[in-house]
Amino acid sequence: MMHRIIRDHLEEVLTGLGSAPEHPAAKHLMDCEECREAVAALGEQAAILRQWRIAPGELAEIEPRSGFYARVLDRIEAQRGSAWTLFFDSLFARRIAMASLALALLLGAYVISSERISSPEIALVGGSAQSTLVSGQVSDLTGDLPVGDLIDYGQPRVVTGTPDQDAVLVNLVTYREQ
Amino acid sequence: MDHRNSEEATLVRRVQAGDELAFRELVERFQAKVFSIIFGILRNHNDAEDIAQQVFSKVYFSIRNFDFRSSLLTWIYKITVNECYDYLRKKRVRRLVYESDFSQEESQRMEASDPAVDPSQPVDTRLAQRDLALKLLSKVSEEDRSLILLKEVEGHSVEELAQMTGMNENTIKVKLFRTRQKLLKAAQRLGRGRMTSK
Repeated sequence: MMHRIIRDHLEEVLTGLGSAPEHPAAKHLMDCEECREAVAALGEQAAILRQWRIAPGELAEIEPRSGFYARVLDRIEAQRGSAWTLFFDSLFARRIAMASLALALLLGAYVISSERISSPEIALVGGSAQSTLVSGQVSDLTGDLPVGDLIDYGQPRVVTGTPDQDAVLVNLVTYREQ
Repeated sequence: MDHRNSEEATLVRRVQAGDELAFRELVERFQAKVFSIIFGILRNHNDAEDIAQQVFSKVYFSIRNFDFRSSLLTWIYKITVNECYDYLRKKRVRRLVYESDFSQEESQRMEASDPAVDPSQPVDTRLAQRDLALKLLSKVSEEDRSLILLKEVEGHSVEELAQMTGMNENTIKVKLFRTRQKLLKAAQRLGRGRMTSK
């Protein structure tokens, strides 16, 4: 943990301005090993970043080639025509895309899991020896009741011959009569 | 410092109004700086022009949102640094500077001329440090990244940074301190107590 006096004068210390013997930070550093170590680590960090400075001799090399402005205009024209490209290049757009993908995955997972919950019941009922197609049962009971109506209204496709079967069929007939 | 009443602000307003000549003036005024920022970060001649074009294209399309809170240079600096990181992300460059990017002549010149570097360090050590520094800087916010680069790479003082950004000096100091701490912690997480690759 760096002491307050060093934190307050850190920028001076790192640039060397705070190293004069009469500077309060310099006096503190003489006595505090913990702060000395922390300052040394930050000093190394700063020195590495200073390596990014361009030497005067390199400046001529990195001058843009002639016609740079014209090429900038060309790029602007190209991008003006494709605003979507600019949009999708932005960080914001990438985040929206990622959020949409995550949402789609969540919805997909929800749909699949809810189908899995309902499908075992159907399989159990469908696996019964007494199960028959709705079309046959309904035709017997209702005569002219179109099968398509039953399916379109989301009613069960199979019946089991249990008391529940009668209740379902009574409901269907009642519905038809209404 | 009020950035609304400077000569630079007049130029910005002309660009915002759609004055093509003003935009040309802006490009010509800042192009050398933009190229030097890009080269300072990437040390790669090949893509500097492409990134610089993209920077000025972004400037053109975004200048309507420039609110004069900071200087124009600070704003362009931030765009440039972001574009460099975007370039790195797109290229999925894990190591920024490969030794193969340097000719022998370039390596020797780098050894001889870099003003802020201990010449006793071999080039590959410095490349590894540069790579590490880039990775660590990707862990901090865009604003913090620009601020510490303006301080350490561009060599601006705290007072100058306060003027450039419109923040007060104490805020600058606190932000720099926090950024330095974040970089150290990120280095520790990467298994490097310090940023040197010892």
